Amino acid sequence: MTDRVAIVAAAKTGFSPSRSDANYSELAYEVIEKVLTETGLTIGDDIDNSISCSHDIWDGQTISNIGITDVIGGHLRNEEKMAMDGSTAVYYGTIAILSGEYNLTLLLAHTKMSQTNRNIVNNDAFEPIFSRKLGLDYTSAGALQATRYMHVHGIQRDQVAKVAVKNLGNASRNETAHNFGFYSVEDIIESPVLATPITQKEMAPDTDGAVAMILASEKAAKKITKNPVWVNGIGSSYDAHYLGDRDLAMSRALEQAAGRAYAMAGIKNPVKDVDVFEVGEEFAHQELMWYEGLGLCEAGKGGELIDSGRTLFEGDIPVNPSGGLLGGVPANVAGLHSVAEAFLQLRGEAGRRQVKDAGVAVVQGQSGHCGQHHCVVVLGRD
Amino acid sequence: MSEQTVDQEYIHVPILVDVPYRFDAGKYMTRFLVELRDNEKIYGIKCPSCKRVMIPPRIVCARCHVKCDEWVELSNEGTLEAFTIMYFPMTDPTTGKPHDPPFSYGSVKLDGCDAPIDHMLNIEPDMSKIKVGMRFRVKFRPREERRGDLADIEYFDPIE
Amino acid sequence: MKRNVAIVGGGQTHHAARRQDVSQPEMVNEAVLAALKDANMTMDDIDAVLLGNMEFFEGQHMTDCWLADSTGAFGKPGLKITTGGTVGATIIAAGAHHVASGLFDRVLCIGFEKQEEGDTNAILSGVAHPLFGRSMAGAAMGFFAMLGSSYMANFGATEEHSAMVAVKARQNARKNEYAHLKLNIKIEDVMNSRMLAYPIRMLDMCPASNGACAMVLADEKTAKDRCKKPVWLRAMETAHNEQFVLEWRDTSSTAPKFSDVAATRVYKKLGVKDPASYYDVFEIYEPATWAEILWYEDLHLCKKGEGFKLIEKGITEIDGSIPVNPSGGVLSTNCIGASAMLRIWEAALQIRGDAGGHQVPRDVHRALATGYGGTCWTVVTSLSDSLED
Repeated sequence: MTDRVAIVAAAKTGFSPSRSDANYSELAYEVIEKVLTETGLTIGDDIDNSISCSHDIWDGQTISNIGITDVIGGHLRNEEKMAMDGSTAVYYGTIAILSGEYNLTLLLAHTKMSQTNRNIVNNDAFEPIFSRKLGLDYTSAGALQATRYMHVHGIQRDQVAKVAVKNLGNASRNETAHNFGFYSVEDIIESPVLATPITQKEMAPDTDGAVAMILASEKAAKKITKNPVWVNGIGSSYDAHYLGDRDLAMSRALEQAAGRAYAMAGIKNPVKDVDVFEVGEEFAHQELMWYEGLGLCEAGKGGELIDSGRTLFEGDIPVNPSGGLLGGVPANVAGLHSVAEAFLQLRGEAGRRQVKDAGVAVVQGQSGHCGQHHCVVVLGRD
Repeated sequence: MSEQTVDQEYIHVPILVDVPYRFDAGKYMTRFLVELRDNEKIYGIKCPSCKRVMIPPRIVCARCHVKCDEWVELSNEGTLEAFTIMYFPMTDPTTGKPHDPPFSYGSVKLDGCDAPIDHMLNIEPDMSKIKVGMRFRVKFRPREERRGDLADIEYFDPIE
Repeated sequence: MKRNVAIVGGGQTHHAARRQDVSQPEMVNEAVLAALKDANMTMDDIDAVLLGNMEFFEGQHMTDCWLADSTGAFGKPGLKITTGGTVGATIIAAGAHHVASGLFDRVLCIGFEKQEEGDTNAILSGVAHPLFGRSMAGAAMGFFAMLGSSYMANFGATEEHSAMVAVKARQNARKNEYAHLKLNIKIEDVMNSRMLAYPIRMLDMCPASNGACAMVLADEKTAKDRCKKPVWLRAMETAHNEQFVLEWRDTSSTAPKFSDVAATRVYKKLGVKDPASYYDVFEIYEPATWAEILWYEDLHLCKKGEGFKLIEKGITEIDGSIPVNPSGGVLSTNCIGASAMLRIWEAALQIRGDAGGHQVPRDVHRALATGYGGTCWTVVTSLSDSLED
């Protein structure tokens, strides 16, 4: 394919457990203003499409994109909302530009988790009659996934906790993270248990915030910046809904999504070909599973990979140098934040968390319980 | 197959979906609500570019896509732009209870503002007694009942 | 668009107020199977699945995940897109982007609603800002009531004109085997129906329906190789309106209006000078009778303030010179997440000559479909049997 799509700007709000000083359109405008100012682009003359990511139930607003129509520049213009993880905005935005319909697309993801109850929201995502009435939410379902995964592959408790040690440590180098610190494996395991084996420090905390980004066609990108980051591959896939239909010890959907994105980007060996990963680990054990789904190790070897230290910030396969979701990123915003982090890494603008010579990055985002839907984006400096 | 056969039983499972929210008003709406609650004043916001005065106050003018920061105090009186009589018990999502029909409901453009505000009208729900162009005045709830909410305006009273 | 995109198949459920014989997944699957059958394909042929509905109308968060089996999305790329009442048309636009991008050849697009499983009026009040107007909101009905009263005051139309639209829709629906409200009614019946919010009566409003629609979009090669009567998506334009100000709700206002803006962009793209003669049939999204009369004007089928004369003269009847909503439209069937897609599917059926009892009595080469939702948003879609125009 000759045409390509690039990211030319990205911005994020500071994240915190509660941004009660701003409603969600004000949060959104904080980051929209930043990306427009940075690129010198305007809604009226330049931006010809916008895509947002949010959920009505999180926002407590029917058709939640009504609340951001004004600030995203949707008045008398196009805007489409993905009711999914933020990574899908990059996925669909890329498709829309490749279709030839648009040149410059403004992306936005926003959520204020502080405004409602995460467990109720997550419970409402389950099929209503067979699953929801049991009171399942993402945490309890995630705990079933963790137990099954650990049992099938002999993953050790401390191997799961090491993900949290790594990510909370990495988050201390990320100025927008709010959940960070240098902990021992014992600190993680001994933090309050939510649903065995998941402890509080192994779950992404409730967070408010927003991320904005601008995608551009190849032609437009080269005019805007000397330092574009190219979207070289995208892939997505759904797994089954009922937990009983799933093999909880692996992620078929992630293997498929990654396979599609790698094929498009020409990645044969992700361990060698990719310099940095940002993944959506709502719970610590999921990062180990995503290693396997992304092809960083064989099935069941996620524990050994974290033990090897290769996925540490200073390792040769750094995963979540930003601190990932455990560092504190809102639901739905998560994947767009991961892409923004990868963008900074590839531009060499990641500050204290900068990975050396990052040329290719892979981002993974998930929607639904236990990662039912996966979206993978391959980004490159070239 | 779309027809339901008479001898086939189907089970329907009732579920009450109850999601609690606590909305953050943000910078602009907070100031609007505080003025309403504490001072019986209604403020709009003026777009620095097209100069229109908008209610409710908001961060960006959707038409010009510029940030708004000029606050304008509006009159408590205005002109009826459109109205309807509701014969249908609409559910009030803040209370979960229906409004008692029939009731008059209208759009009043307050003097000094370019956009109307929709609210209850304190006038007999009779088509022959309500006309577009009529003048109305804001009726605030008593101070002790006001809680920083649009319902601090009880309704609009017709001006004799 | 970089590649031409065709509708190569579609299907819908029989729409009804009660579909207690099926769950949501079962109902959606009916439309999916109908669309695949019409396209002469199986799920193996499908490269991606896109789903849309009114989020949370049935009290369900992330319907795409729950429905992954019945939509066929399991193991496939896919997305959930929601834009309110326009979503069915947004999904088609998104499907077209998928195909035009060159990354996907055959895309399954699905819209649905099972309104009986939730409380639509309470949820539609939630469209209002939570702190500004929600407790006062008259949902969609209050909005159309104010629009109708303003239109009558400004242009001399009467309640009978809106009643004519109500009658046309339900009489057309009687010819459409899939429609929900197939009512043999006259103007008096509309005038005698219960007043909801003056001047809107029960029969002036769309019903709450259950139903689904699915369509298969494909690239030019697939369309030409595998489809006898491909219908080409020639242009799509979306326009939202800002959140709080609906200036043209006062119908004398000259403020730019979402519907007019989107239609004008489509006409400009295709070089359409006189839409009334360019298009052979229109399928528009009219949640209330007055909305249809205003669509006539916003689509430039007549001058501003003269829309009611089209219905008065019978011009928009199924056998009139500008047939509008031969299917019975949204006034007869409103399964919201499917409604805007049904407009496009019905328009495609007219072009194929496959509309059955409600096929308009003329050659149909081109058709225009519109969506309606949010705080007055639309997607306008232009269809043709030819790639030459």
